[in-house]
Order: sequence, then C-alpha cells, then structure tokens
Amino acid sequence: MLHDLLIALTMLTNFTLVATHRVQKSIQVAAFQGVLLGFLPLSMGLWRHTHVLLLAAATILVKGWLIPFLLRRAMRQVQIHREVNPYISYTLSLMLCALGTGISLVLAHNLPLKPGDAHGLFVPAALSTLFTGFLLLVSRRKALTQVVGYLVLENGIYLFGMLLVEQMPLLVETGILLDLFVGIFVMGIVINHIRAAFDSTDTLRMAELKD
Amino acid sequence: MPSTDLLLVLAAAGCWIIAAGAGALARTSERTFLGLGLAAALLAAGGAAHALWTGHLSGLAFRFWGLTAWAEMDSLSALFLVPLQVLGALGLVYGSAYWPLPVGKGRGVPLRCCYALLVAGLTLVFVLRQGLLFLVAWELMAVSAFFLISTEHDKPEAAKAGWVYLAATHVGTAALVAMAILLARRVGGPLWVPAQGPASGLDLAILALAVVGFGFKAGLLPLHFWLPAAHAGAPSHVSALLSGVMLKAGIYGILRVSSLLPPVPHAGALLLALGAFTALYGAAYALAQADYKRLMAYSSIENLGIIAMGIGLGMAGRAVGDPALAALGFAGALFHMLNHAAFKGLLFLGSGALLHATGTRRIDELGGLAKLMPRTALAMLPGVLTVSALPPFAAFASEWFLYRGLFAGLLRGNPWSASLALPALALTGGLAAVAFGKFYGAVFLGEARGPAGAGAHDPPTPMTWPLAILGVLCLALGLAAVPLLPLLERALSPLLPGTPIPLSTLLSGDLRLFLVLQLLLIAAGVPLVAWVRRGFAEKTSVPPTWDCGYAAPTARMQYTGGSFADLWSALLPGIRARVRTPRALFPPPTGFHPTQRDPLGLDALEPRLAQLADRLLRFRRLQQGNLSVYLLYVLIALLGVFLWMLVRAWMRG
Repeated sequence: MLHDLLIALTMLTNFTLVATHRVQKSIQVAAFQGVLLGFLPLSMGLWRHTHVLLLAAATILVKGWLIPFLLRRAMRQVQIHREVNPYISYTLSLMLCALGTGISLVLAHNLPLKPGDAHGLFVPAALSTLFTGFLLLVSRRKALTQVVGYLVLENGIYLFGMLLVEQMPLLVETGILLDLFVGIFVMGIVINHIRAAFDSTDTLRMAELKD
Repeated sequence: MPSTDLLLVLAAAGCWIIAAGAGALARTSERTFLGLGLAAALLAAGGAAHALWTGHLSGLAFRFWGLTAWAEMDSLSALFLVPLQVLGALGLVYGSAYWPLPVGKGRGVPLRCCYALLVAGLTLVFVLRQGLLFLVAWELMAVSAFFLISTEHDKPEAAKAGWVYLAATHVGTAALVAMAILLARRVGGPLWVPAQGPASGLDLAILALAVVGFGFKAGLLPLHFWLPAAHAGAPSHVSALLSGVMLKAGIYGILRVSSLLPPVPHAGALLLALGAFTALYGAAYALAQADYKRLMAYSSIENLGIIAMGIGLGMAGRAVGDPALAALGFAGALFHMLNHAAFKGLLFLGSGALLHATGTRRIDELGGLAKLMPRTALAMLPGVLTVSALPPFAAFASEWFLYRGLFAGLLRGNPWSASLALPALALTGGLAAVAFGKFYGAVFLGEARGPAGAGAHDPPTPMTWPLAILGVLCLALGLAAVPLLPLLERALSPLLPGTPIPLSTLLSGDLRLFLVLQLLLIAAGVPLVAWVRRGFAEKTSVPPTWDCGYAAPTARMQYTGGSFADLWSALLPGIRARVRTPRALFPPPTGFHPTQRDPLGLDALEPRLAQLADRLLRFRRLQQGNLSVYLLYVLIALLGVFLWMLVRAWMRG
C-alpha cells in the first residue's frame, strides 16, 4: 500500500515540475522525486536484499543531495532563476502532461507485459514520468531546466527498472547512477562555460553551432 | 579420416592470419613472411587437392558466440580453394620482388599484411557454411581488399578507386545480409543446408538478392563500375589475386546459394542473358582501353560474364531437369573459372613486370619491348593466346563446354536465351582476340613509341618464375582437359545432388579428338618455328624493323593501339575519335585522338549521383541544430513505437 502512495506522489510531482516557473523550485521538486523513488524499493518490503538497501541509500544520497547541490551551484554561477518564455506555455504543458499520463495508463494496460508486472501503478507511472521528462527537455529553453528534464527522464527509467529490482545486479544500477551523476556534473560545468562564451544559456542560440 | 582435409584448410587460414600478424611488424624479415605464407598455401592446397581427388566431404560443427556453426569442404569449395592458394603463393613470391619492403614509402608492411588477410578471408569464405560467419569472412576479404586497392593512396586516382570500391562492396554486403536473413528463414536456421519443399517467391527473392550482392563482387553488368579503376590502381600481384580469385568469390556465392535452393524457373535464362551481355560489353570496352591494366580489368568483366553464362545455363538445365545441360553449363563455368585464374593471373603479373620496367600503363607509349624483355614477352604469349580462346590453350576447352551446352540448350531447353548467348559468346571471343592482339602487338612488337620503354629489362627471378609457371599452366590445363573431367564431375556433385553427371560420356570424345589435333599442331608447329628461326640465324645481321626501302623510318609510321582498336570499336557508345582529315595540297600536321568513356561506368554514374545528393539536400531541414527539436524526434519515435504496439495488440485481439 505504501508503495502505491509513493508512486502516486511521484506522478503528482510530475505535474508540479511542468507547471513551475522558478528554477530553484524545479530543482527542489526533482530532488524530492528522486528521494521518493529512493524509498520505493524499501516500501516494497525488500529489506532482506542487501543490494537493494545499498541501492536505495545510494539513490537517496545522489538524487536527494549530490545532484541538487551541483545544480544549485550551477544556478548560482550562471545567475538564472526563472525559466522565461518557454516554447510551450505552462498551461499547455500542464495539459500535455495530463494527456501523457492518460495515455500512459491506457498503454500500460495494453502493453504485452509479463502477467505479474501488469498490475499496479508501476508501468503507467514510469511511462508518465518518462513523458514528463521529454516534455521538459523539448519545451524549455534554459540549459539548466533541460538538465532537470533529463533527470526526470532518468527517474522514469529507474521506475521501470523497479519491476526487475530483485533480479537486476547491483552493478547495473550503480552504473546507471554513476552515469547520471557524471552526466549532470559535466553539464553543470559545460553550462557555465557556455554562459562564459555566449553570454547566455538559451539553447536556441546554440543552433549556430550546427555544421 | 575425412575431416583432416578441412582441418588442414582451417589451419592454413590460421597460418595466413599469423602471417598477416607477423607481416604487420616491420622487423619481420621478408624471408619469414614468405615462409609462413608458402606453408599456409601448401597446407590448404594440399587439403583441397586431396578432397578434390578423393571426393570426400569433410565437415566440422562448432559453437561460436553461442550459435551453432558449420564449416564444410566439399569438392566445389576445394575447386575454388586450389587456384586461390596457387595464385596466392605465386603472388607472394612475385610481390617480394615487385614491392620489396624498403621501397614505396614504407607501404610494403601494410601491403603484405593485408595481402595475407585477403587470402585468409577468401579461404574462410570458401569453407564457412553459416550465415553470420560467412558474412564476417566476406567482410574480412572485402575490407582487406580495400586497403590493398588504396595502397598508393597518394595518387588521387588510386584513392578514388579505393573509395568507390568500398562503397560498392558494402552495398553488395547489405544485399548479402538481407539474403542471409531470408535464407535463414527459408532453411529454418543460420546453417546453410539445402532447403526443403518446392520453389516459392521467397526462393526467388533470395536468389535475386544473392545475384545482386555477389554480382557486385563478380562485376556483373550494371554493378561492374568499381572494377576497372580498382584493378588498374592496385599493385599488380594484388590485381592478379583480385581478378583471379576475389571476383570468383562472387561466382562461388551464386553457385552455393543456388545449390541450396530448389530450382527457380526462368532464373537460369535471365542469368544467361545477363552473362552474355556482360561478356560482350566487357570484351568490347576492353578493346577500347588505352591503359593495359584497365584493358585486362575489362577483360575480367568479360570472362566473369562468360562464367555467369555457364551458371545460367546450368541453372536452366537444373530447372527443366536436364542433367546433360546442367552439367555442361556448370562444368563450363567451373572450368573457365579455373582457367581464368591461371591466365588472368599471368596477364596481371606480366603487366606488373611491364609497369616495373617502364613506369607507364599507357599502351601508346610502349612498343618493341620483345627485344628488351624477351622472357616477359615469351611468358605472356600463352596468356594472350588463352584469353583469346585459341587452341591448344585452356580457355578454348572451357568455352567448348559452353558451346556444347548452348547448342544443346538451343535444341531442348531455352531457345531464346541460348540463341542470344551463342552469337554473344562467339563475338566475345573474337573481340577479346582483337583486344589482346592490340595489347601484345602494340606493347611487344614494332618499335618504341616513346621514351618510357628505353631502359626496360626483364624482371628479377622471383618475378619471372611465377610468370613461367602460370604460362605452363595455361597450356597444361588446355591439354589436360580429359583427365580433368572426373574432377569436374566431382565438383559438380554438390550442385546437382542425386543425379548422375554425364560429363565424361558427353565430352570425352570431343576432347580426345581435340587433344590429338592439338598435339599434332604442336608436333608440326615446333619444327616449323625452329626451321624458320634457323633461316633467320643464318643471316649475318638482323636489320631494324622496316628497313625495306624507307629512307627515314620512324616509330610514328606504325599503328598505335588506339588506331588499331578504332577499326572495331568505332561504333560503340562513348567512344570517340577526334580526327582532322588532311585537305589541300600541303596539309598541315594532323592527329588522331581516341577518347573512351564507359556508358555504364563511373564516368556516367557520377553526375547522376551528384544530382541525387543535391536532391537529398532538402532533408537538411531536419537538422535544425536545436537540441529540443532533436529530442522531439526521439519523443515522436518513442510514441510511434508505443502506438504501433497498441495497434498490434488490438489487431491480435
């Protein structure tokens, strides 16, 4: 029961993410979503697996503290606090997010999954988080909010991976986590350099870089 | 133990790979590399010859990356392996003098490494019988050939030839991948075993893909565009191997795949017509070439066309259930394949000797080389006579098989294709004779047309011996056609399983008669030549050419290669001769400048490809340079996949 509650909360955070203007808040909400997902394997009653415990701890640590820390630092350096003028307005984003969640629910019931995995909210939540991440990536202009979108996208994949958490080796999960951390670490540095070079982190300006 | 033969061949492939590895190190001496290569060739040739002699079939099942794999050597594989190893070894010996390590900007090391890899790849292509492994060996062969062709990549011509070859071979491989997948579906597994059941549309698709994919390698007509430049630009011992064996890998593939499938109606007749067209085209454009290595490359297209005619005839015979027709066609193709390896190897190695001595590939800059390079001239004579299909040399015998088969087809099976192919084959032989008459006459006879040949001399011994051996082989294969018949029958058995092959009864009468006539010809000819030469020797001095009454003879009086060929090739599309006819009483100096352009070749293809590239430029709009747009593409693709799964689930109920 507890895990259903956590998943429902995750889906609600998706809506908060697409509707928020302030960068500070979207980092906070993304971190909150990460922590929720970190507690998820524990709420599923998987205490006896050491590797699941380790994984949960690592997820909470990296997604709840390390990544938000890096993002906030990048935010301070580039002095961006608001996502102004996105490609898709906030109202429309909210509607698209709702539509995506609806489609995920329909899809999850019709996908050819294993009988044991079909029940519950896992698959629709994973898909809707995936769509939300994509929506953020596609609709936002600032590099920093795009990184948040990437983080949310990865959360969706992580949620899908929960279906297999008992079988999945620790190495794979930690590999994904490390990947995410390094990706965001590098992006933080790159964003700063982009601002130094172009005096803007608007990704549209970077279209000049195409060959 | 029957599988020893296969183990020998596989060990030889390993040995070639070791030779490649050793050859890649600059400090490995020429002698070590040569020793490794010759040992490998000896192993494989021994195994293959034994398999061919006894007719044993040796197979080996093993697991590779979790897949079952199967290597098998039947007498068909063995028949392709023997010329490969012989020509590979001769090219190795020849190459050690033609391109020794110190010369050529240090390219000797990668050259010898890729040469050994090419032979290893080809060896594996002929024995592996599993789709995936076959394709891996095929790519090993194709990619090492790319590096060999672009050995002299600082010359723009050779670099371009290499890239065109690479593009062509990979388009062919794409077709082969599709073919391998469909074949795996047809036979129910990745192993290449004969398919059961009657012929269907799937069989036709597999065969068509095989002809396209392997046809790129074999240079069948619209797919030949990469071939002339690649063969002309590669080092000569590589050209010999490419033309003598690598093109045959395409032939082997078509034969092998068609042997796995039930006979497909009409496919044989179509291949026969395609082969006839290819042969005629190759011979006609060989005639028009001004570069002797390109001339030989076009002649390779011609000969591969003749081989394809044989295969087409054989397939037609198999489809109508006529073993005599099938045996004549397939045996003609296989015998011609063997002969072509010998004589085209000889001709390319000989042209390497010419290039080595004179530094030019233009026929019209050479002349009178028989006086300066008597051994090369003598060694190349059998090659020239063989390619012209004259008795008593080898190609005469193999084309005789085809003539017999085509006449038989005219009477029974496919009148339209056979009546098309018969005059084409005859005309091809005639045009080839003219083309090589032009080559031999202009290069070796007469007087020098330019300064290029002034310091020419016979090549060193390691280059002369391979020429001599191949020259003797050209004659020996022609005279030994009767004892070769049982070997060919054995090689045909995988192509015509379960049917008696009446090759001996069909042909031994003809061939015996020919043998007697040819021996009489030689017996009469040798004393005649000796007598004529004795007459010359009695004179005290040998006068210069044309000393009979001309006050000031010059080399410009003789026919050039171009003007000689113009008599025959003036009507071909793409061939122009610029002539200013002398008028008035005291005409100014005039000239004759033939130019040629292959109407289906690269010159014609390139403008069209450029046009296509221009059209495709409008897809540039998809590349906006904006990350959000790219991510949108990913999202759309993802949604599309989900939607497709939904629709599929809904359609299945």
